Amino acid sequence: MANDKTNCIVNRSPRFSFLSEDQKQTIFHGMLKVLQDTGANVHHEQAREIFKKHGCKIDGIRVYIPPNLVRQALQSVPLMTTIFDWEGNPRIYIEENRSYFGPGPTLVYFRDPYTMERRKCLRKDATTVARVCDALPNIGFVEGLVTISDVPRGTDDVFEFADMIQNTTTPIMAWSYQRGGARDIHRIGCIMAGGEEAFKKKPNYILYSEPISPLVSDFHAIDKLMYCAEHGIPQDYSPCAIGGGTVPATHAGQLVVALSESMVGVVLSQLINPGTCIILGGVQSILDMRRGIYSYGAPELNVLSGGLTEMARYCGLPMFGTAGCTDTKVMEIQSGIEATLQIHTSMLTGANFVHDCGYTESGKTGDIFQTVMDDEIISMARIIEDGIEVNEETLAVDVINRVGSGGHYLYEDHTMKWFRKHWRPTLMDRQSYEDWDKNGRQTMQDRIIKKTRDILENHEGPISRVPKDVQKDVRKVVDEAVERVEREGLD
Amino acid sequence: MSEKLGKIADGLLHGKIDEVGELTQELINDGMDPEEILQKGLFAGMDVVGKKFRDCEMFIPEVLRSAKAMHAAMEKLRPVLSEESSSKAGTVIMVTVQGDLHDIGKNLAGMMMEGAGFNVIDMGIDRKTEDIVEMVKKEKPQILGLSALLTTTMPKMGEVINALKEAGIRDQVKVIVGGAPVTDDFAQEIGADAYAPNASIGTEKALELVKG
Repeated sequence: MANDKTNCIVNRSPRFSFLSEDQKQTIFHGMLKVLQDTGANVHHEQAREIFKKHGCKIDGIRVYIPPNLVRQALQSVPLMTTIFDWEGNPRIYIEENRSYFGPGPTLVYFRDPYTMERRKCLRKDATTVARVCDALPNIGFVEGLVTISDVPRGTDDVFEFADMIQNTTTPIMAWSYQRGGARDIHRIGCIMAGGEEAFKKKPNYILYSEPISPLVSDFHAIDKLMYCAEHGIPQDYSPCAIGGGTVPATHAGQLVVALSESMVGVVLSQLINPGTCIILGGVQSILDMRRGIYSYGAPELNVLSGGLTEMARYCGLPMFGTAGCTDTKVMEIQSGIEATLQIHTSMLTGANFVHDCGYTESGKTGDIFQTVMDDEIISMARIIEDGIEVNEETLAVDVINRVGSGGHYLYEDHTMKWFRKHWRPTLMDRQSYEDWDKNGRQTMQDRIIKKTRDILENHEGPISRVPKDVQKDVRKVVDEAVERVEREGLD
Repeated sequence: MSEKLGKIADGLLHGKIDEVGELTQELINDGMDPEEILQKGLFAGMDVVGKKFRDCEMFIPEVLRSAKAMHAAMEKLRPVLSEESSSKAGTVIMVTVQGDLHDIGKNLAGMMMEGAGFNVIDMGIDRKTEDIVEMVKKEKPQILGLSALLTTTMPKMGEVINALKEAGIRDQVKVIVGGAPVTDDFAQEIGADAYAPNASIGTEKALELVKG
């Protein structure tokens, strides 16, 4: 059906923003000033040498980055990058206005999905997270939620990645302690892709590292960043900035510092390998001044994540946002409220990667039930983001005319075609009172637990499709990681 | 003079750093017993601060300003106080272990302990085990607060405790460990005296430990 409208603006989705173009420019200039005048500590001699070679002033470990170098880096960051699953199918398009949601990394505790108790993280938990996420249609990338405690200390980064990538085709955002772990993870990524060349064409994971707020890049964070840049591995360099603690209590001030912290990594990555993919962002929230905790449920998290998303887009960089997390200790009303607001705001602002679905207890305990609940919230938020389609067919004037006053639309072909676009719950309850009563008066918690355990018991994931020799090669890398850490230790 | 004591307590409550320092100096000059200034002015004020914080009527930045005011007063008072009184609560060494540059939690805990009357020595971040042991030997603190945010640097806390044992001074100091990935189990595993899940609990634990 030809559209006969001319010079007509159509909203593909709701329009939403925190910052005007002028405000973004002001914040961007604030960042340039900080990098130029305040500088940032870089605990890595080789990295400082690179900065120095490109015109940065160096004073001890402090690096001062001139505005033109930032602008130059922003010229060379890629406009788009595609992340594939290890079977070679495109899964994530890192480009404007595409949002993917997933869990977060390295929590201290995990909620056991059967005993329901908070306990130390075990190796099997990473596999649980991978398999459950593999079955959740609205989870677009996977992180482990855990710090595995039952493998040799310092090798859990490699164990986690090796187990997870074989148990899901959803791409993984990996992490490592040091360059050694990053190298082993990369070997596994290449093995799963079918070799180093295959990985270059179809990267199947992203590596995450983290500067320390305020304005510090420690040796290992920068060392991993350099490794990724050297090998063309898509990466994420984003801080956890604590409003009122490690950064100013004002949102604009927080955005300036958080941006500056990531930008140190962005500039360095582009100096090493122009065009390599790098993502900024991180957790942006406040210090709760009563409890002294870093809040994962504060409404400010939404404002800050949204604001930073807009700043990332202004810079032409992908954004690593935060949503689907909570300050509560167990699944309850609060966790639903906090996660819903976060996911909805993230969807509206359009961060590329939105992590921490499944973070509870203010970033201390991983809870796969939270991830399962988040999956449902994400699908609801996507419906809102889909907005209102307006054209001749959706306007349905013909059908309205045919049905006329009174009557109904239930027999109409138009209805048959379009009602299928309505959102269908998998967890939300819409039963009649009588059915609800007859079916055991289940609560949201009951349904989440049931769905999660159904997945764990029935969803096999792709593990049986991983060829035996590939499994063997991956295991070899893990064994060598154990030997490496035994031999070299971690400094 | 007692009016000034009230002003000191009030100044502490409102985080008036300069005023509390000046009033303390005035009372010293007026010839008031330093012990009385400490008990009836400073500790009286900080008791209210502690209570208000527990009751959620005061917030961390306000408490820290009070602690800073307390510190300003102690600077004036310490030279004239008896040795016993000047380190009434005791001395604390706060440090982030080697390999770790994170310090917001450690700073927060240190400032709160200062507010509770401890003499706090902050060794900063990324400090070698042997440096920490040397400092403990030199300063003879009642409490050693060890901090780490990384799971890779956590074992360094155990290393420090072992080094204290080797140096034969483990029983002279109580060790409190803290940091986001640290757990109670881990604290027990490495033989620490206490685990502090946050700054205020760390301060409470420190006070309990010095009371014995």
